[in-house]
Amino acid sequence: MGVAMVINTRIGGNTDYVDDGVETLKRYKPRSLDELAMRTKFSKKEIQLIYQGFKQECPSGTVNEETFKNIYGQFFPFADTSTYAHLIFSTFDLRSAGFVTFEDFLICLSTLCRGTIEERLKWIFALYDTKKSGKLTNDDFYLILCAIYSLLGNVANRHYDHETIREHTMNVFQKFDKLHRGYLTVQDFVSYCLKDPLIIQSIESLRTTV
Amino acid sequence: MASVAAWLPFARAAAIGWVPLAKNPLPPPPFRTPTHGVSPSSPSTSTTSVTATTVGERRCDEKIIINVSGRRFECWRSTLEKYPDSLLGSNEKEFFYDEDTREYFFDRDPDVFRVILNFYRTGKLHYPKHECIAAYDEELAFFGILPDIIGDCCYEDYRDRKRENTERLIDDRLHEDEDKIQPKPQSIRETMWRAFENPQVSTMASVFYYVTGFFIAVSVIANVLDTVACGPDPETGYPRSCGERFARQFFCLDTACVMIFTVEYFLRLYAAPDRLKFVRSVMSVIDVVAIMPYYIGLFMNQKGEVSGAFVTLRVFRVFRIFKFSRHSQGLRVLGYTLKSCASELGFLLFSLTMAIIIFATVIYYAEKSVVHTKFTSIPAAFWYTIVTMTTLGYGDMVPKTWAGKLVGGVCSLSGVLVIALPVPVIVSNFSRIYHQSQRADKMKAQRKARQTRIRLARNATSNAFVAAKKHREQHADDANSPADKNLVNPFELQHHHLLQCLELTTDREFVEMGPDALMNSGGRTSFTAGTNNMTGLSRFGSPSSRLLLNRRRWWCCGVRTRGKNSYKYSTDRANNNNNLNTDGNELDAELDDFQLPLALTPRASTTLLPQSTSTNVIQPQSTPIVGSSLQHDVVLHSNADEPLLPAGDRFDLNHPLDPEYRSLLSRKANSLSTVYEHGSGQDAALGYPTFLYAQKRTLMNKKHYHSECHVGNSPIVMLLVLTYMPYIVTQSILYLL
Repeated sequence: MGVAMVINTRIGGNTDYVDDGVETLKRYKPRSLDELAMRTKFSKKEIQLIYQGFKQECPSGTVNEETFKNIYGQFFPFADTSTYAHLIFSTFDLRSAGFVTFEDFLICLSTLCRGTIEERLKWIFALYDTKKSGKLTNDDFYLILCAIYSLLGNVANRHYDHETIREHTMNVFQKFDKLHRGYLTVQDFVSYCLKDPLIIQSIESLRTTV
Repeated sequence: MASVAAWLPFARAAAIGWVPLAKNPLPPPPFRTPTHGVSPSSPSTSTTSVTATTVGERRCDEKIIINVSGRRFECWRSTLEKYPDSLLGSNEKEFFYDEDTREYFFDRDPDVFRVILNFYRTGKLHYPKHECIAAYDEELAFFGILPDIIGDCCYEDYRDRKRENTERLIDDRLHEDEDKIQPKPQSIRETMWRAFENPQVSTMASVFYYVTGFFIAVSVIANVLDTVACGPDPETGYPRSCGERFARQFFCLDTACVMIFTVEYFLRLYAAPDRLKFVRSVMSVIDVVAIMPYYIGLFMNQKGEVSGAFVTLRVFRVFRIFKFSRHSQGLRVLGYTLKSCASELGFLLFSLTMAIIIFATVIYYAEKSVVHTKFTSIPAAFWYTIVTMTTLGYGDMVPKTWAGKLVGGVCSLSGVLVIALPVPVIVSNFSRIYHQSQRADKMKAQRKARQTRIRLARNATSNAFVAAKKHREQHADDANSPADKNLVNPFELQHHHLLQCLELTTDREFVEMGPDALMNSGGRTSFTAGTNNMTGLSRFGSPSSRLLLNRRRWWCCGVRTRGKNSYKYSTDRANNNNNLNTDGNELDAELDDFQLPLALTPRASTTLLPQSTSTNVIQPQSTPIVGSSLQHDVVLHSNADEPLLPAGDRFDLNHPLDPEYRSLLSRKANSLSTVYEHGSGQDAALGYPTFLYAQKRTLMNKKHYHSECHVGNSPIVMLLVLTYMPYIVTQSILYLL
């Protein structure tokens, strides 16, 4: 998963005038359409569509966290999307580079839309596991729940506070942590989810076409 | 296809993260998804078929058609391949290839594309002057062309406009942040400071403002009248000044004024957030200089001597007139201009000094031979040179020799030149700064209206969802529901399904937003109450909305409950309390023409709304992307600084200002505050951001203030206070003495 080309230039200025300094424009180009179609489970037409939308929003070819925030801000009015966007962003940004190229994005999207159930469950696990420790604790659940609740914004009918979220966290964690070890590994998580038909059905319901 | 719709599948796909945590099972999707079986074979077959065609098309030099929003451009393939780093020159354009029509389709601006295509043809990139700089930059970024290859013919223009635009955006962001950072003042000190810096905060503040202004005027006039001749002295027969005749009355008046000034100074000193800084600021120094002579005079009078020093001190009383600069925007602009033109003024002074010395020397030696000449020494000749160079020509010193007259002529000619040179620079500076401050006021008024529209549009999105939900519930069993689904577009269906999933995950519901709820959402802190929240929720106009709410009610109803409610707010925040209901009584008192809060969304987030929202609001689609694209260049560097959230006990939704914004803010704040040095704008602590607001406010107070001050009973109150207060004060002093 490399990056095809980096074009790095300086917009210099005369130093005797007050300039904003040196700006560096980075531009990322994905590899060819054919290669991407081979690597992911999308068809060429779909990749074309996705890329067109992607490029519209981020003409420089990369997405940063700020853009994620804005995009989510459009879908969830009145929400505070910063936390949630950050969490989603970190699952995409596998190289921890601070930005996501189209290839990263497409590959992740392919996992999410067209991957197997196990792959998707593993993605969910990675989403929750912010510290990348391989184990999920109560705090991880609390974090993700806070992020989700903050997507609601201020328009929910019943307001919520720390207590509600804590309660929710505890309920959910207890459901998962059957062995009461205090943490969950990937296998625990995946096996529990596979056994629950409701979860499987819900995940299927969010499968979308492009 | 709108790019928002293009991102929706991503948002929905990412929503599987909610699934294990959901309290309720998620609903089925709104339409039948064609089940894409995971068949690795199909993509590859399509790939091979496509590669066959693309390979087949890659003959040498053929014409390719580029369709940009309906306008067709044709060019040779080799033309485009001249610049392989750009979108059109590389195989990135294959992503935009439409197989059915066999052309490349771009949904962009055809006028700018024409310029870009010309670049490929001629090798020179031009900047069309009528084009908006932001739109142009965006197009360049999209097509992967770097702006620094703009040809020399257009580069200067491009750079100037870009700089102007960036400055303007920074300026506007500064204003936005000021509006943003308005938490309710927690203490009396903060209230007072706000009242001082910003007279339209409350009626008390504006009364105070007018009263002090009045007393400054009275004091200055008294100083002036003090010296007017008032009739002959009955004892000596010589004319004496009014000050001597009515010594006692003038003394009382002076005392009253000084008392008021002293009280004002000490109040300001008490309220100032950074007292040391306040003491060192220009206005404070002026205040001190204005009142010190009086006290010094008091102490010296006790010694019983009227010396020359005492008289000199009286001169300093005239400095009181500088106190007017707090009241006048124009004066402040003038002062700021002079300060910013310091280098030009310095040059003026230096060149004049040089010229004076030269000419004085020459004319001294020329006139030395004359008997009884007035040019007794070179310093004496300085006076002549100055008077001549500034073309005053008093005539008290005149050269008599022909050499002296020659020198005098040259002197006056050169004087005109030397003085005329730096003046236009100063004038243009003044005009720029003045226009800037005018524009700031105008923008403020426009921004309110715009934020209102934005909020309405956002409101509509949420309302549309709730309405659709209700509709669906009502017609759950009806036969005509499938028909309705056909009418609604799939994008909206998917978006609503996503919002529904969120509701079910958290066991909450989106509710209808009416105008009172609009105030509600603006007026409340977020669920992490207790932290001083500047992020999304409370960012939506909360402190300033409370400000506006409070102000309106005070003026329109004069109801006493304002104080009670504001106390309630502060205790709510203190107690981590998040009651929806406390807003009720405040809102009930709201009158018909409510002012919508200054919604404070960052500009970039007000981008493309889903087209399905049915509003009367025309939402410009292109402008906000500017913010985000401008940010791109900057944010790419600073992303590493974004703090990772602590997965700890206390969940902090605080979103600190980006480092660049903060540095930009502080830079800008510094440049504006050089004259006034009020407040600690550098305080990143959220507790004191009001002072940054106050700081900027001092620069642009007057006009805005007048435009807002006319409501209700306030002028009458102020008038009464104004007429009676000085009378009361002077009477009391007379009685005391």
